[in-house]
Amino acid sequence: MHEDIADFAVNYAIKKGADYAEARAEHSEGTAFAMKNGVLHAAGFQKEDGIGVRLIVGGVMQFLSTNELSRSVLREMIDRAVRAGKSSARVASKIEMSDAPVERVSYEVKQRVRSSDVDSRGKIAELFDIEAELKESRFSIPARFLSLSDDVVHKCFINSEGSRISSIIPYVGFFSLITVNNDAQTAQRTIQLDETGGWEIVKGWNLPSKVAEEANVLFKNLKYGKPAPKGKVDVVAAPEVVGIAMHESVGHPYEADRILGREAAQAGESFMTPDMIGRRIAKGFVNVVDDPAVPGSAGYFLFDDEGVRARKKYLIKDGNMNEFLHNRETAFSFSIKSNGSARAMDYGSEPIVRMSNTFLLPGELSEEEIIEDVKLGVYMKSFMEWNIDDKRMNERYVGSEAYLIQGGEITHPVKRPALETTTLDFFSAIDAVGDKVGYHAGTCGKGEPSQGVPVWMGGPTVRLKGIRLG
Amino acid sequence: MNFDLLVKIVKRAEELGADDVVASGDESKSWEVKFVDNRIATWMSSYEEEVSLFISKDKRLGLTTIKDLSKKSIEESISKLLRFTRKMQPNPEYNGIAQGPFKYKPLEGTYDGRIAKLDERATDFVEAGVNSALAEGAVRASGVLKYDAGEDFLVTSNSVEATQRGSGLYFSIRALVDKYASGHKVCCSTTIRDFKPEDAGARAGRVAKKAVNPVKGEVGSYDIIFDPYPFANLLNIAMDSASIFSVEAGFSFLGGKLNKKVASREVTLIDDGRMPRCLSSSKFDAEGVPTRRNVVIEKGVLKTYLHNTSTAKKYGVKTTANAGLLSPKPWNAVLDKGSYSEKEMFEEVRRGLYITNIWYTRFQNYEKGDFSTIPRDGIFLIERGEPTKSLKEIRLNDNMLRMLQNTVAVAKKQEQILGWEVEIPVITPHVLVKGVKVTRPTS
Repeated sequence: MHEDIADFAVNYAIKKGADYAEARAEHSEGTAFAMKNGVLHAAGFQKEDGIGVRLIVGGVMQFLSTNELSRSVLREMIDRAVRAGKSSARVASKIEMSDAPVERVSYEVKQRVRSSDVDSRGKIAELFDIEAELKESRFSIPARFLSLSDDVVHKCFINSEGSRISSIIPYVGFFSLITVNNDAQTAQRTIQLDETGGWEIVKGWNLPSKVAEEANVLFKNLKYGKPAPKGKVDVVAAPEVVGIAMHESVGHPYEADRILGREAAQAGESFMTPDMIGRRIAKGFVNVVDDPAVPGSAGYFLFDDEGVRARKKYLIKDGNMNEFLHNRETAFSFSIKSNGSARAMDYGSEPIVRMSNTFLLPGELSEEEIIEDVKLGVYMKSFMEWNIDDKRMNERYVGSEAYLIQGGEITHPVKRPALETTTLDFFSAIDAVGDKVGYHAGTCGKGEPSQGVPVWMGGPTVRLKGIRLG
Repeated sequence: MNFDLLVKIVKRAEELGADDVVASGDESKSWEVKFVDNRIATWMSSYEEEVSLFISKDKRLGLTTIKDLSKKSIEESISKLLRFTRKMQPNPEYNGIAQGPFKYKPLEGTYDGRIAKLDERATDFVEAGVNSALAEGAVRASGVLKYDAGEDFLVTSNSVEATQRGSGLYFSIRALVDKYASGHKVCCSTTIRDFKPEDAGARAGRVAKKAVNPVKGEVGSYDIIFDPYPFANLLNIAMDSASIFSVEAGFSFLGGKLNKKVASREVTLIDDGRMPRCLSSSKFDAEGVPTRRNVVIEKGVLKTYLHNTSTAKKYGVKTTANAGLLSPKPWNAVLDKGSYSEKEMFEEVRRGLYITNIWYTRFQNYEKGDFSTIPRDGIFLIERGEPTKSLKEIRLNDNMLRMLQNTVAVAKKQEQILGWEVEIPVITPHVLVKGVKVTRPTS
């Protein structure tokens, strides 16, 4: 799979004076379908081949990419990159990379049912089945946007240090926006599912019943929901809400490139500083990890896009800030080794520090035990609107499916409870952690040009004691 | 890439049975210089050549992008697309593509051949921007310089043959005095002559210097002056919401509001595919229809949605020349200039806020337009017409329709904005919106 052209690029870059060179040749192939209000709006397939090359010349990092896999094009691009690197050396950062072991390995995520073997009629049938199920609803769902995709990505990574890694990772994904009506009022919900594997995963999602159930919950909230309480109450946050908080307020601020200012003009910086490692942020039973090796996860990989072996990182360990996410460049700045967190969206994107699957580890309490101690509170099962500031401190999560808790019992739906808090207040308020982890999919955006990469985020249900709802 | 290739692709797809065929070719070279803390961190370059191919067969629609342009790969892709499309369900709403041929008037200032050869001069642009920021009091500056040049080709089965060249320059700089005092500005142009990164750097530096020692903002309802950069973020959303696709799919707050008042009289919002020196201007849309100036909101009244030929027929109107390969899309968003100078606008505000950047705009309900967004970089309290204190840690928590209806003043100096969260070029002046709801974290 384009190994010859990747070898050529690395060898040619070194020959032209690069101190380091790597090449990532990729081939991907898949299909995508979109349905709008019961009509098949779009259907297509894609097949893509390309190469991304990084080289360091005189301390300047260069990244070049093309879908034109010819030696002459690469030769011209590398020549020009070397010239540009040399001419800008006087105003350039001196990039150095931490040492990394030489790796020679191949791995593949198997598909029990290969997506490419499934007839496209069978794929669009999934969307029509959802439509049929939604039509059975006893309430109005005036707008329905549904999409389904599959993609298999073959990668071949080679660097001038001798690493040679090839991988095959298949992805499947579903996204929808549904709009539910009641008495001229509307409510909306997005549903996103992403996993690595074959079409068996799509079948296992049971999309018709899943989407119909989400629509039903939305309708009940719209029809029966009462105003959410305001002021200090206990908030019981279910895995979807916990997951977004772990991603936004732990994963992102622990990205070492943000801490070093490399994303200042894009996704921003971080409230974290290197001297905060070891400081307490939560009670001792709070542990947050980023783990790319979760089987079937959207953020799955065993070697990152710099050829470094991936591993589980404890971002918060026993309630203390513990470890940042690093690539080889940031690791060098911190005088440590990379923990394998470099990802690129595709061959045309530079590898930068990214999350994979970020989640809170489970505790020992059941969700029922967490709820039964709440005198007055809100159970926030899902969210719709959310955002966080660029240092990852000031955040807001607005509930979609949510219920009032009174005397340890879930009573009735509540509308749009808004949790507007800070990262420090959120973590200091966690006083109970559930025993079952749930994962949710997302597309994480970072970098410029913007790169969206698939991730999971999650955790068990947690209780936030005495936190203010707005 | 050349016409002959696209003509052959269209002809071959027709031979294999396609009804409508659109072949859209793109050859582009782009570069990006990323700088961090006043130093160049990474150089990036890209060369891409591809053909996007759309076909219809008995109202069944199929799409693919051919990236390997070898004869064998093209033949395989066309054959596969026909087989693939035949298996689809018909789209009863599909009403065909535009019938050509069309004549295209030249566009003003969309291509500068020198941009593709910048190389060393790119470093000079970065240095000029950074040095200007530092001269105004910033301690460090980060951002990107991007430049690109390319050529588009379009051939359809309905007698369209069109081509155009384009180029662009974009500079984004965030100047920081410290971690909590920053300013962010951008500048963009289609030609080197009009490109002034040093101005962007200086303006970012001045905002950063003014933003030092911020205090926590207070919850309330504020009259807010938006700098062009943050207001572009909201206008980008407004113009995306005007696409009939967004309306039908539930992504728009403008649904069901045609010929109704959706904004104040001060708001005239235009989609102008022929805007001179605009980064996205194009002589033709994805079906080859000559682009035009569409007044989407005129003095507060929603006048049209954005259509392609197919959606226009469905609604009994004419195409607005906004075809993408599948759905209508805006070219840009131009907020018509008003009568205020910046100074006069500030004088209108007894107690309010001046916002210089926002990000992370997220919706609770796209159809209702309920959203929140977070100001970042310089946020200033305005007292008796003057920016006074620097503020931090606030959130705007409002509704798109309410904000457009509460737009009470538009300044006269427009600026072209593109940014990390502004994906189409937006041309807007400063804008004053009354009574915007502001919240903050509570503990």
